Amino acid sequence: MHARKKKYRGGHNGGALKNIVVCSLVIFFSAFVVIPIIVVFIGSFHQWNPLKGEFSFLGLDNWKKVFGSDLFWLSMGNTVIFAAIATSFRVVLGLALSSALYSKLIKYKSLYRILYYLPTITPLVAVTFVWKFIFDPQIGLLDKLLQTNINWLFDSKYAMIAILILTIWKDFGYAVIIFLGGLYSLPRDCYEAAEVDGANSMQRFRWVTLPLLKPTVLFIVITSLISYFQTYIPVMVLTQGGPGTATYLSSYLIFDEAFTKYNFGYASALSFVLFVFIAIMTGISFKVSGSTQTE
Amino acid sequence: MKKKRNLKLGNVVDNGQQKKFRISSVILNIVLILCSILTILPFIWMICSSFKTNAEISALVQSFLPKKIIFDNYQNVLQKFDFLRYFLNSLVYALIITVITIYTSAISGFVLAKYRFRGRQLLFTFILSTMMVPGVVTIIPRYTMMQQLQWLDTYKALVIPSIFTAFGIFMMRQACTAIPDEMLDAARIDGAGEFRVFHRIVFPQLHNSVVSIAIFQFLWAWDDYLWPYLVIRSGDKQMLSVALNLFSGRYSTDYAGLFAATSIAIIPVVIFYLVFQKRFIEGVSASAVKG
Amino acid sequence: MKKKVVSLVLIASLSMGLVACGNNEKKDAVKNAGNSEEYDVIGDTVTYDPNKPVNGGKDIDTEFWYWTGASNLFESLVDQYTKYHPNVNIELVENPYDDYWTKLPLALQGTDGPAIFNMHNSQHDNLIDYMAPYDIPVDDIEAEFTGASGHVIDDKIYYTDYGLMTATVYYNTDMWKKAGLTKEDIPTTWDEFRKVAKKLTIRDGDGNLVQAGFSYNGGIQGDVLGMQYQYGQNLFTEDNQITLNNDAMKEVVNRLKEMYTVDGVCDYNFGNNSGDNFGQGTVAMFLGWGFMTNLLEENFPDTKFDCFEIPVPSDKTPYAYHRYNGESTFGINKNASKEQQAVAQDIVRFFLASDSIQKEFCLANSVFPAKTSLQTDSDLLAIPSIAVLADHIERYIWPGTMPSTVEDNVKIMLEDIFYNDKDITKALTDAENNINEDLKNSNFESQESKYKYADETIKD
Repeated sequence: MHARKKKYRGGHNGGALKNIVVCSLVIFFSAFVVIPIIVVFIGSFHQWNPLKGEFSFLGLDNWKKVFGSDLFWLSMGNTVIFAAIATSFRVVLGLALSSALYSKLIKYKSLYRILYYLPTITPLVAVTFVWKFIFDPQIGLLDKLLQTNINWLFDSKYAMIAILILTIWKDFGYAVIIFLGGLYSLPRDCYEAAEVDGANSMQRFRWVTLPLLKPTVLFIVITSLISYFQTYIPVMVLTQGGPGTATYLSSYLIFDEAFTKYNFGYASALSFVLFVFIAIMTGISFKVSGSTQTE
Repeated sequence: MKKKRNLKLGNVVDNGQQKKFRISSVILNIVLILCSILTILPFIWMICSSFKTNAEISALVQSFLPKKIIFDNYQNVLQKFDFLRYFLNSLVYALIITVITIYTSAISGFVLAKYRFRGRQLLFTFILSTMMVPGVVTIIPRYTMMQQLQWLDTYKALVIPSIFTAFGIFMMRQACTAIPDEMLDAARIDGAGEFRVFHRIVFPQLHNSVVSIAIFQFLWAWDDYLWPYLVIRSGDKQMLSVALNLFSGRYSTDYAGLFAATSIAIIPVVIFYLVFQKRFIEGVSASAVKG
Repeated sequence: MKKKVVSLVLIASLSMGLVACGNNEKKDAVKNAGNSEEYDVIGDTVTYDPNKPVNGGKDIDTEFWYWTGASNLFESLVDQYTKYHPNVNIELVENPYDDYWTKLPLALQGTDGPAIFNMHNSQHDNLIDYMAPYDIPVDDIEAEFTGASGHVIDDKIYYTDYGLMTATVYYNTDMWKKAGLTKEDIPTTWDEFRKVAKKLTIRDGDGNLVQAGFSYNGGIQGDVLGMQYQYGQNLFTEDNQITLNNDAMKEVVNRLKEMYTVDGVCDYNFGNNSGDNFGQGTVAMFLGWGFMTNLLEENFPDTKFDCFEIPVPSDKTPYAYHRYNGESTFGINKNASKEQQAVAQDIVRFFLASDSIQKEFCLANSVFPAKTSLQTDSDLLAIPSIAVLADHIERYIWPGTMPSTVEDNVKIMLEDIFYNDKDITKALTDAENNINEDLKNSNFESQESKYKYADETIKD
């Protein structure tokens, strides 16, 4: 190939490659993220039913309905609590188990890793049906194991806990793997220095490992929050938001309004609020973790 | 006992510490085993139940092992349920998504890391912020978009909205930043065009990030439910995760069939993971999000 | 490297194994070779002539959508139809019930949706704008099918009922005998019913339930929406708004709650699905809709049962015993091509005219036949949940195509009352308000005024 004897500049312009990529990126994210958000925003001001071809301007009615709706505040509240608890457990379990797997000369490491990961790679729908049985007060495993008589899915005190149990069980394995990877990547010299200083394993963990793992923790926290704010299937299969409205989550409410009632306008308003909320939560997470990240 | 060099921590272990070591080792093992049992208990129950009749699954008196083993469920799954087709659909979809996103993330990460241009930081922050937009928010407009483009019930609708992933771009940009500029300059001086520089020099170095993104994307595509559910109508194009819903009839669910189908569905993924897991962990660790 | 090869071989052989075992059941009807037989005309008032060619004898394709659980039925229908018309290629498309109602409206919007589809009147609002009317004379249909008049819109029928389903009380005949009860003890009023339920309840030494006399766990909203008719109370007002906060409804809900809390015939944590629990042998009686007959026989063949009619408040004939819901005939897609619509119309006519197919469908769903010629059929009357209705079928009312928000909100309301101890009046009022807000956006029209005994309703 005839060598391009372009005047070589140290500025790395990138030429055609850069232009193609940048254009594609801009087009793609505008089309699939920005424009939808704008459409959602506009749609929220309309009575929008695609089945009937309705798209009439409503002004602020949908928004008034959103903020005046008890069900909305309830779902928002449930969702926040749910996401917070699920994320915390995921992180804690992930850290704990990955440390255990890492720092001991344990045989069958691979076995543990595959076992913990098994729930993560199983389709969620199927797994939820299995747990439906497990939660049954008469024939389910959970009550048998704990020797209790709790009606998990029909008792307001426990229904949300049931969904949390399912979610944590399904997702902790992924955190274990990610943290394990993180642990393997940590530099050894920090540990050795700490030991020379007389730190025991607990202290080593707290003062050396944990801070070094902070980016990984942040990663898991943020991806978990975003994912858990969208939890839908467990609610749909296990409780349909019940008993009563005890387990109504935002995503379930949105999906119900959109694809059962075809109330796209109202659903759009709900979605937009959820979006703003997540943006705020993510922003806070970043701030809280300190801005020593990113660059 | 000889003073042995502790393999993990470069420590010299003496007798007193050895005892502590052994106790904590025992405790740790117990904890790990306990967690494993709790984790796989539902699976064991599910697999056992897949050999039962629906009546037995719902019976009041339960036993782990089936009272009467039947293979009908598996037969049904393979014959009436058309399992292989759904499985292959999901597999192909997940593989395509994985391959495409690895490439697009790499090239985007490279451009964002190694080229200076106006608005670079803005573009990157913009892409990053799209990660915060939950799928459920944009699902309605995106659905309408597919409708108007007449892409409904085609794989276009599944794949095209996912060809770029902010997460992948983020990871790749990290990885590309670590590649020394000198390497690139050397290639350029030798006359390589930018495309060559990327494909020949940069891409081969991104091995670890490729693995991380591969796991993430593959899993995500494999388990994806809402979007394929809305967008794919024809039974023969449907994904496994959605098709499993077919076991829910109007009045009752064929649990036994569902469990049989799921039991089969996880086997290949388990094998795949077992074989490649060392690589996975290495990949994840090497590309660990370091901030 | 070796590991990779091993795994690939494993996966490959697995796939091959699956292929070997699996075999694709084609859902398309098999085309017959040309036949030149002469067939008899089918049907009485609504008739069907199998000898008339469809689409001029030219080949034509169409999709026929249905929901999971009835594949044999539809395959049988398609087979019989294509025997007469081998030039028609019908592709059956199946979707799970819940998915069906999300996918179908969206499919009907385009031009390549199914020409003919299985319908349910609860989805009337979402689908009616996509439906083409039957080209069979309305009078003919009304003459042969009970309840058809409730489906006439502007002198046109878009779909009607082939079967009527409602709730009856299922009781375990073994438990009945063990409690010393006979056929004479079958209750006709709610007071008698409560007594019988108490007799059928068994507790152990610690007072724990062992056998529930009557359970309604798992959702009884479908029946609460209907039992108030026994007091002459309609569900909907003249402006098509729901009324729940009234004396009749309060009576209904209170009685249900008292059966647990006062009579002690069951409790809210004793099983979560009365039908399943009945099959499992822990519940002596439950209120079930017709489809439970088949379900029980399939999943719990060892549980012997029979049915009796739903009890009423007193010995007087009630305004209505209960509401019924119709299993709908098929819908025709008005966006399909003219040729496909013609085929769809033909299929519908065949479906309505053929007694044997009507009977097949009724048997499969255990529904009371809407077609009058079948209402004395001995096979159908052999099914207990059907036989029970034969005497009073005229005293069952159809409220109309209630949108899903009605049942959904009543479900939530009842869960709040039963599981969360919410105050009944407040729960009724809240549900009423929520439903009415949604009803404002719908075109729902109550059919209660078309009920044969509509003038007997209480006016407040």
